[in-house]
Amino acid sequence: MTDIPRRDPNLVMRLARLGSIHQSRLSFMRVLTRRLAREGWRFEQTAFAVNDAGEGHAVYTAYGPERAYSLIAYAHDLPPEKRSDRVIADAWDATFTLFDGVPTADDIERLSHNIPVQEAGRVSGTELSVSRANRSVRLWEHVVSNLAEGRQPDVEQIDAVGYLMRTTAVYGSGKLGAADREMIADRPEFTAPFQVEMLSVYLTRWFVLDLVQHMANRRAAANGAEAATLSPDLARSMGIGNSTGLGMAPFLLNHPVLFNNWVAARENAIQAVRSLDAASAEDIVLFRTLVERSKLSIAAWRSEHPIQIEKLAGLRADVTKLDTYLAQNDLKGAAPWDRLYQWAEEALTLEGQEWIASLILEPYGALVDQFAEEMAADNTATFRIAGAMSVGDLRGLLNDIYAWAIGIDWQASENRARAWYVSEEKLEPRLGERFEEPIEEYEQPLAPGRDAAQLYNALAHWPDEAQVAEFLLRHPEHRHVLRRAQIVGRAPYAEIRDNTISDQVLPIDMLRCKLAFFGATQFDPRSDRWVRICMYGNAPLPKELTTENADFWVFPDAETVLEEGVA
Amino acid sequence: MSHSLNEIEAMSKRAGRGAGLSWGLAEEAAKGTRWLSSFGFPGTEMLAELLMLNDRIPSIDVSPVSLRAEVWHAPARRMSPLIAGASLSDCAVRLLERGSITMENVSLPLLAVPFMGGAALRLGVAVAAEWDGARVATDGKQLCVQGDPEALEAKHADRLVFFAPAEMTGRREPVMRADVSADSWEQLGGFSHRTFAPATEESRLRGAGAGLSDND
Repeated sequence: MTDIPRRDPNLVMRLARLGSIHQSRLSFMRVLTRRLAREGWRFEQTAFAVNDAGEGHAVYTAYGPERAYSLIAYAHDLPPEKRSDRVIADAWDATFTLFDGVPTADDIERLSHNIPVQEAGRVSGTELSVSRANRSVRLWEHVVSNLAEGRQPDVEQIDAVGYLMRTTAVYGSGKLGAADREMIADRPEFTAPFQVEMLSVYLTRWFVLDLVQHMANRRAAANGAEAATLSPDLARSMGIGNSTGLGMAPFLLNHPVLFNNWVAARENAIQAVRSLDAASAEDIVLFRTLVERSKLSIAAWRSEHPIQIEKLAGLRADVTKLDTYLAQNDLKGAAPWDRLYQWAEEALTLEGQEWIASLILEPYGALVDQFAEEMAADNTATFRIAGAMSVGDLRGLLNDIYAWAIGIDWQASENRARAWYVSEEKLEPRLGERFEEPIEEYEQPLAPGRDAAQLYNALAHWPDEAQVAEFLLRHPEHRHVLRRAQIVGRAPYAEIRDNTISDQVLPIDMLRCKLAFFGATQFDPRSDRWVRICMYGNAPLPKELTTENADFWVFPDAETVLEEGVA
Repeated sequence: MSHSLNEIEAMSKRAGRGAGLSWGLAEEAAKGTRWLSSFGFPGTEMLAELLMLNDRIPSIDVSPVSLRAEVWHAPARRMSPLIAGASLSDCAVRLLERGSITMENVSLPLLAVPFMGGAALRLGVAVAAEWDGARVATDGKQLCVQGDPEALEAKHADRLVFFAPAEMTGRREPVMRADVSADSWEQLGGFSHRTFAPATEESRLRGAGAGLSDND
């Protein structure tokens, strides 16, 4: 094995790079589908009671080796003017909960008063998540009307959108009274992060396909005709959209240990693969195949946002450069992955570098998939401040982690132009202009760089041998960031090492990073602070899932695309 | 009504901040309230009572004057159990060296107990607290409790003593759900509300980045 160090947190944890991360083998959707297939989970639609107007409920149950989980879906007839992706919406096309076990009629009745109103309702410890979704107006009617008239919908229109519904929030871990993560964290199926939410979305996709077929069938029946059945290939090509707003950005800052564990797992995996002395012929073939399939995904990636358009142009140029590299390098020499990565770091944009960093993991599931087991976090041990730490040691820590922040002029208005706050409207997280709006007194502690620099300055006249406990007694206002510095001292990838309140900050970088860990692709920013993605596009449907197709579905298959293209 | 522990923690943090605590202390209040709730104590009730008592007063007035003093006391003759508790947790190593730390005039002493759980985890030994008619010990994971509810939920302790290492006798396991009184939830909600910016049309449009249509 070659001795390759893990990538430096000062390189990895910059916003521009975090905002260029790509999904990988360790992404939560792929961790889930691999487990479901490996353990032979069984799936069943146990209820579907939806009327001609599209109102009613349905239940989908997943049976695992020890436990079962059920998605309870409520379908609604939503007037178009009520349809919004914003947190502040109060009605949706469909609403969901993932139920722990198999619900009784009483459960379904109880939840029918609470799930459809989302934040205005209450759930209990048997509910693991609460979520909602809206139709894609563009695609829904196209698919219903074509099927109802006996035709398959148009491939290009499907590809242009990618999903029939998009979720606008998936709440888990104790929200609205649901089960805390701690209640279920010891179940093997929920060891990796966000598996409840990923399972919920996976079953949601099945429901949405059933619903669109049902609506087409009813419309055809009303016309005395028979609807076409949506082709399995088209059905599989569609995922579930997701519209993610600012709420996810604070999540990364508020869960530093968890965030560290995600990034560290991926970095450990990258290190392990870069350290390989050689690649087998099979590994090289698999890698080259997935490069080709990945190129299809990059080619199909659409965005109207100027920032993403520019990044995509860079990534597409990177694809061409990779082709040239691979034409000249057969990967059969020594340390092929490290050489490839090092070349990428020199030659490619951040998008391209992170694409390669994720892609080289693909042939090595046996080596790297274990790192996913370490991605969850228990914060209990890290929360307590080590009060006996000396001020000198704390100063050293701040110099190590926050040198980039200590060097910023925090008096300059452009460096603190923004402030994160929570609105009283449904507690929507927002980002405002500090010097233009009356929001500063409501500011959330989401500017660790500024806060660390302030702490550093406040320590200036304290002797090295003093203990931080004494300092905190006088200065409780620094307690939050001091705790953070100690956490990052133990968990180096816990901190975003960039200014989160400058006039240049792009919250979409944080959203992209989190969604890439979920396993999303084809990020489509709709502004600098919300982004649309597609989840499970091209994934096998629950009943099709096998160990053969559970892993690489995220890469479009060239033959499938070709067939559909000529259909 | 049954609440999740995460809900209790989130509400307590915002309420602590709304009552004027620094973010770092609000986080301590939140973890502590969650911990008490998980052992069946009226954590939210006691936190609400403390926040009303010390609403927006300077923290320094209800903090220990010195961590080296023989007996910890606050200038205002009434010490916040959150600040005293956080300091105790920060001084975990010192507690073990000294064997005990004594505090005078502490409000709602039970609210200081969760911090001792943190100290116990850090030290790897059980820690105990005693005040009028009450004794509580924990290793950070389980709890042993002696005393009637009136003594445990006392509004004030003239003298509160922490010991380490301590004996654990009769263990109580935490639970994963908590019953919260509607009154305390409303009171904490009132404090929390102070941390939310009022809704304005400008913020609604700009703050969350609406722009491109989201109904397409």
